[in-house]
Order: sequence, then C-alpha cells, then structure tokens
Amino acid sequence: MAGLALTAEQHVDAPPGAVFALFGAGTGAGWVFDAACDRLVVGAAVTLRAPIFGAAGEPVEILGRVAALRPPSRIEIVHDQPWRGRLRVLVDSAGIGSRVRLIADLDGAGLNWLMRRRGFAVSDGELAGTHPVGLLTSKSGPASVFASPTEHVAALAVEEINADGGIRGTPVRLVVGDDGTDPDLGALEAWRLVKAGCRTIMATTTSATFTRAAHELRDSGVLMVQTVMNEGGIGGELRVQLGERPEDQLRAAAGPVMEAAGGRRWFLAGNAYIWPRVVHTAARRVLAEQAGTVVGESFQPLGTRDFTPLIEQILRSGADVVLSAFVGADLVQFERQCLAMGVRDRCRTLAPAIDEPTRERIGDDASTGMFGASGYFEELPGEANEAFVRRYREMYGRFAPPVSSISESVYEALHLYAHAARRADEDTPAAIARELRSIRHDAFPRGDVAVDGPETFRQSLFVAEARPGGFSVSRAS
Amino acid sequence: MAADLAYDALADPVRREILSVLAERDELSAGELSSYIRRVGRTAVSSHLRVLRTAGLIAERRTGRFRYYSVDPTGPVQDVIRELQELFQGSLDAAKVAVENGATAVAVDRERPGRRAM
Repeated sequence: MAGLALTAEQHVDAPPGAVFALFGAGTGAGWVFDAACDRLVVGAAVTLRAPIFGAAGEPVEILGRVAALRPPSRIEIVHDQPWRGRLRVLVDSAGIGSRVRLIADLDGAGLNWLMRRRGFAVSDGELAGTHPVGLLTSKSGPASVFASPTEHVAALAVEEINADGGIRGTPVRLVVGDDGTDPDLGALEAWRLVKAGCRTIMATTTSATFTRAAHELRDSGVLMVQTVMNEGGIGGELRVQLGERPEDQLRAAAGPVMEAAGGRRWFLAGNAYIWPRVVHTAARRVLAEQAGTVVGESFQPLGTRDFTPLIEQILRSGADVVLSAFVGADLVQFERQCLAMGVRDRCRTLAPAIDEPTRERIGDDASTGMFGASGYFEELPGEANEAFVRRYREMYGRFAPPVSSISESVYEALHLYAHAARRADEDTPAAIARELRSIRHDAFPRGDVAVDGPETFRQSLFVAEARPGGFSVSRAS
Repeated sequence: MAADLAYDALADPVRREILSVLAERDELSAGELSSYIRRVGRTAVSSHLRVLRTAGLIAERRTGRFRYYSVDPTGPVQDVIRELQELFQGSLDAAKVAVENGATAVAVDRERPGRRAM
C-alpha cells in the first residue's frame, strides 16, 4: 500500500544477535522491542503498545502479525489496526556493534485516523453519487481486539453489493468511524458519519457505545443497526439489534461447560457496562433452570489490566466454572492471568465474547479449553462459508486477522440492508428499516437467518471449545 | 480546511517521498532534495515542492539565489507525522539504553504468557 515511510535509526554497542533477541522479550527496551509475542515465528500474533498520546494517555495497540523473519537481521510485522501497514525492524553489523533501523508505513487512512484523534477535521472524500453507509467500529481501545477484521469484512460485502448493481443503481460507499471503545467518542463519531451523509450506521462496537450513540442520534432520522452480539432492549422503528442474545448463548453452552468442569458452581465475572450485566442476569436465570449455583460475582471497568484481586477471589470461591463476560483486550488479559495464577487447574471457562481474533491474542496456552457460543465460527462447514473465507483471504492475505461472528455479522447486516433497500418502496431509512425488520436470507456463511421485528435475529447457535490454533465447533442441541 | 489540501498534496507518491526525505533531515536545498528523489527530474521536483508549500506541508527559506525546504513545523499533518517519527525514534533510543545497560532476553520466561500484556 502506498504511503509515507517513516524511518528511525540508532547505533547500538552490541552485536546483532543480542539486539534481535530483545524483540518480544519484555525487558523494557522501548515499545517496539517490547512487543507482546508469545512465539517469534512467522504468522504469530504481535501486539505493540504505542504511546501515541504521550505518557499520560492510554497506549494504542497496534495489532499485527509476524510476516517475515530472518534472525538476527530482520523482523517484518504487518498490522491491520489502527491502520493497515508494515513495520520493519532491520539490524545490521556496524563496526563492533549494530545499526538498528525501523521503517514504518503510514498510509492515507492511517494519517486520517491520527489526524481525527487529534481533533482535526478530515474529509471523507467525495460522497456525491454514492449511497453512503456508516460503519461505527473500534479501531482502538480494548474492543479493537475483536473488531479488527470488521472493516475488511464490511468492504468485502460492499464490493459484492456493488458488483450486484449497488442500491437502486447507486454504489454503496462505506464511511468508517472509530469509537476508540469510548461511548463519548463513539457518539461524536456517529454524528460525524451522519454529517458526512450517512443515513444508516452499522455498529460493531460495545453496547456501551451503541446505546449511547443510539440515544444521541434519536432525532437524526438515521437507521442504526447493531450487528454484533448484544442484550437487545432498544429496538424500534429506526433501531435494529441483530446478533446473539446472552440468554441463548448461555442456554447453548452452560450444560457442556458444566459437564466438562465436572461441577455446577459458577463465578460470574465481567466488564462493568450494560452487556456483561445482562449476561450475568441471564446466567442466573439459566443456571437456576439447569441446577447450577452462583458462588461469586464481580464487575471490573473496561480497560482493567491487573485482575489479580479478582482472580484470587475466584480461587477462594471454590468455583467450578468461570463465566467470563469480559470483552476484547480485557478478556485477553484476564484469561492470560487466569492461566498464570492457576485458575485453569481448577475451573473451566465460558466466555460469550470469545471469538477467533480474541482467542489468538489470548494465545494457545491460555485459551485451550475455553468455551464460547455464537452463531458463527470460521471453522463452520458449508460452501457459503468456505467461499466467504476464501474471498476474505484473497483480498486481505494470509496475515489478516481471522474472521469471527462479530466481523461476519457486519457482512450479513450489509447484505440484508442492501436486500431491504432494493425491496423498499422508497429510498428512506424508515422504509428500508421496515423491510429490514422482516427480512430473511438463506445460505449466508453462518447459515439461514431471519429478522423478526427490531430485536429478534433467528439463527443457529454453535458451541465452540478453543484448541491450539482455533476452535472445535458443534451445533448447539 | 488545510487538511483537505494536504491530503490532495499527499496523494502523489513523489510528494510523499519528498516529505519522507524532509522528515528525516532538517533542511535541504532543492538541488540536494533532487539527488534523493531519483525517479523524477529536478524540474518536476520543483513543481511538487510548490504543491507541498501551497498545502502548508513544507516551509521555504530563501538565502541569496538558493531556496531551502523543510517540513513545516506548524502544519497539523506535519505535527502528526513528526510525532510518530519521534515515537519510533524514542523506542529505538530506549532499546539502545536497554541493550547497553546489559538487558538480555535470557531472563524472560516466554512460557508464562500471563506475565505480559498482549
């Protein structure tokens, strides 16, 4: 991808091998060399925590993958968040020491993202002659872990819709907003999408952002669709909530996880916002039916990085199962600490928000044996899904993040929206929403789906158990 | 606003290359700059410099018959690019300090993933 190449260079009084060995070792050697990477091999997930907003701001996670490796002289990382780019670390012999160079790509989208974050107005380009649709997603903050493939998947859907004639002969144009996993910023970004001309916004953010943005845009006349798993409750004329419901996910997976655990005592843990709270409430209801008991409960703010006191509480509780209603980077961190502190030896874990991108950042060691439940996993059999995954890989390459229920949901939502818009008697959000509320479609990657009212999305659910490299998936009984 | 003009200016690969070269050096004359930008001639470099200057991305200083160019330190796009550049440089400076103070990878146990943030 064309863009600026930023370079930095430094001479180090140590041989290349010693410099190279520092990468990923976590020795306090600067934010690039302190990359989090379980195994330095081609294809491994790498996270760089870049202090883009200074020492006082929360670091921005650059989510990438090792694309090339030649010890001791070259490490190449490709990344998809917050922008698509490539970072090369080059180490050469120079005298008695080494010359170390970093070459980082910054494309137009990356520059736009950085500019917006600093409060500058940046044009989205010419939208005249298009049917603009907003995508409100999380390119930064804890939710960027699960949201990472959504922009790619949305672009794939838009390409297919446009190849099929667009909407009433007009090509769809995607306009992307980043909530930074922050409802305040999410509301501002949603307004920006509206001002850019979007009359429909697809959201793959947390419910904290969606509910806030939906409220702020209540008089805007804009159709907002929450595509990802959510708790429902705010569907209406111009608000459609697709996705899995917590109660359905729990009903599908509670039995299998208790069987695997050999016990029925649950500790409920999750982030402190609306979706995890509803997950816990649903769990109490489902467990009451299935002879499970609750031995403890805790909520932690989104962005928590040290779960030690909570994990000690879980270990003391005597729980057999942990319901982990954390999301994104919080789920990653919590599960890694659970492994390190011995929770895996005592408990099985059900995490309704575990998906492919989150699993690979939790890592094989900490994720193996965790349970999830959703309407889609990349491993699902079937021609429609095979074709979908193949197209995704053709467009974005082998190092792009894996697709998941969360990202695939936006693919389906865009196609459903296009079907509804073609069928609507007029080109207005209200007329399109009316069609969308009763649309059905067969042979999506996840199977047959049907929308039944503003907050019911009928689909099959699958229970998945994490294993090294992916999930073992079975249809919920 | 200036940002729009700046993005148009950045749409051209030669102009991006010019900016990359200038971002690494304090100031260059048009002639010096041409020696770094091989893919187009000196006249083309001059016209690209004019576009970049109009967009507020670079500053021009005249001394006698020479003109010197540098990244405009007041432009918002440049702020962002320069800060990112400094961020990468800072990470290498920290790596240098760590290596030269004897940090080695041996002390770290890679098999315990819970120890470090992802």
